[in-house]
Amino acid sequence: MSDEISNINEEISDVDNCGCEEAQICIKNLRKVYKTDDSETVAVEDFSLNIRKGELVTIVGPSGCGKTTILRMIAGLLEPTSGTILIDGKAASGPGSDRGMVFQDFALFPWRSVRRNVEFGMEVAGVPKEERRTRADRYIKLVGLEKFADSRVHELSGGMKQRVGIARVLVNHPEVTLMDEPFGSLDAQTRNIMQVQLLRVLAKTDQTIIFVTHSVDEALFLSDRIIILTKRPATIKEIITVPWPRPRDRADPAFSILRKRILVELENENVMG
Amino acid sequence: MEYSRLKYDENNKYHRFSKSLGITIVSLILLLEIWWIASLLANSSFLPTPLETWDALATLYSVGDPITGKSMWQYIAASMSTFLKGFVLALVVAVPLGLVIGYSRIVRQFANPILEILRPIAPIAWAPIFIYGINYTVGPILVVFIGIFFPLLTNVIFGVMKIDQGLIDASKTLGASKLQTFTKVMIPSAVPYTMNGIKVGLGVGWMCIVAAEMFAPINAGIGYYLQEQSSVVGSGAGAFAALVIIAILGLLTIGLADYIHRVIVKRMGMEE
Repeated sequence: MSDEISNINEEISDVDNCGCEEAQICIKNLRKVYKTDDSETVAVEDFSLNIRKGELVTIVGPSGCGKTTILRMIAGLLEPTSGTILIDGKAASGPGSDRGMVFQDFALFPWRSVRRNVEFGMEVAGVPKEERRTRADRYIKLVGLEKFADSRVHELSGGMKQRVGIARVLVNHPEVTLMDEPFGSLDAQTRNIMQVQLLRVLAKTDQTIIFVTHSVDEALFLSDRIIILTKRPATIKEIITVPWPRPRDRADPAFSILRKRILVELENENVMG
Repeated sequence: MEYSRLKYDENNKYHRFSKSLGITIVSLILLLEIWWIASLLANSSFLPTPLETWDALATLYSVGDPITGKSMWQYIAASMSTFLKGFVLALVVAVPLGLVIGYSRIVRQFANPILEILRPIAPIAWAPIFIYGINYTVGPILVVFIGIFFPLLTNVIFGVMKIDQGLIDASKTLGASKLQTFTKVMIPSAVPYTMNGIKVGLGVGWMCIVAAEMFAPINAGIGYYLQEQSSVVGSGAGAFAALVIIAILGLLTIGLADYIHRVIVKRMGMEE
């Protein structure tokens, strides 16, 4: 058992953070301070991360530590107090379809059908109607909702709604897809199914994913690398490279050992201070 | 027949409907009873019995108004026409204005003092000014406009301000510009509130029209007839016949708006 632990530690300690030049996404010294009239809260401090094209990176951390703040800054929905975010070497400012986002509460447009939700990004980009429909249908099929293309959003289950949310982003071929606890509001069973389906969908694209979650199990099942954050102000505590190929077996003893290690680290963060 | 079939079952749609219909009928009968007893006790020509009112209504329907030579339908048409014009005017002004005020904080800060000063003035208080100041045709339309305008405007502003921030974020990260987010996300999400504003506005507007018409001796509808019957003719029964028509038309107008509201909210997959 102890052998196994040291083995794992050896495998994961290899922090292969590529340089900013080779990275598709290069985040440098990101900092976010929330100011009110009489107080200042530092939410994110000195967050730097390079992500390669096609990588799936998850961010885990204690509740309320600022995971979502980081994601929203990358999305352009929040302005960093300082620091830079480069996408393919270009500074990202303000939201845009190159950084798609999948939301925990789905954020689908209730007055639009599934297809019209998926078409939204192409519609605002001025893609012709015919092409819009063909592309939307392709991605609706990819997430397995072809029978529901004309359904209203409120007729779908939570898992189906999030599949629409994912298709709505992927159809625009973003540089990176930001996922903010996308399966957080689903029940455990649906959640596992969605993780498997997400990997199946991603295998057909070369999407870069930054995935925020509070489930260590989810992070281990999905990611190439896991970024563990400290409690507020959030900064990187450790980066773990998950050594196993996909699909992964949640019941594998090595899986549980690594899960336990990460959980202990998170717990320490919660207890400390 | 089995006893159980006669027993009230809360889960049965028809049972529920029958029950509520039954209660409604009893309630209406009670209203008639109270009216009837009150009219007998008062023994005044200004509080006719339901039967006398029915006769007056029947006379207005078959003979019309001998003083003006107008038929019942002409009175109703005149009122509805004024009402509709005021309503359309309110819609055309209040909806775009509400969208802009709800969207922009600066516009809101600018508009709020003006609105807060004007809002407490009862719409009918404008009636003498509009009717004697402008004319008998436009005046009542403007009174209806004021009556519908404020509830509608308030609801549209509220609808824009209460929009789910998540939908705006989604729209932005899908590449929509500010203008596209406004037209494709904010306007549709304000629709249910707008419909609610229309519903409330129609109720207020309907109260205004009848009152406004009392000031207008010509071109007027059912409100004028009410005034004429009370003051010139001195017929309580005629006046009450007018009240019955006003009540029925109001009920129909608001019922229609309520129905459209429900259909739209359902079609858009939105609940308030």
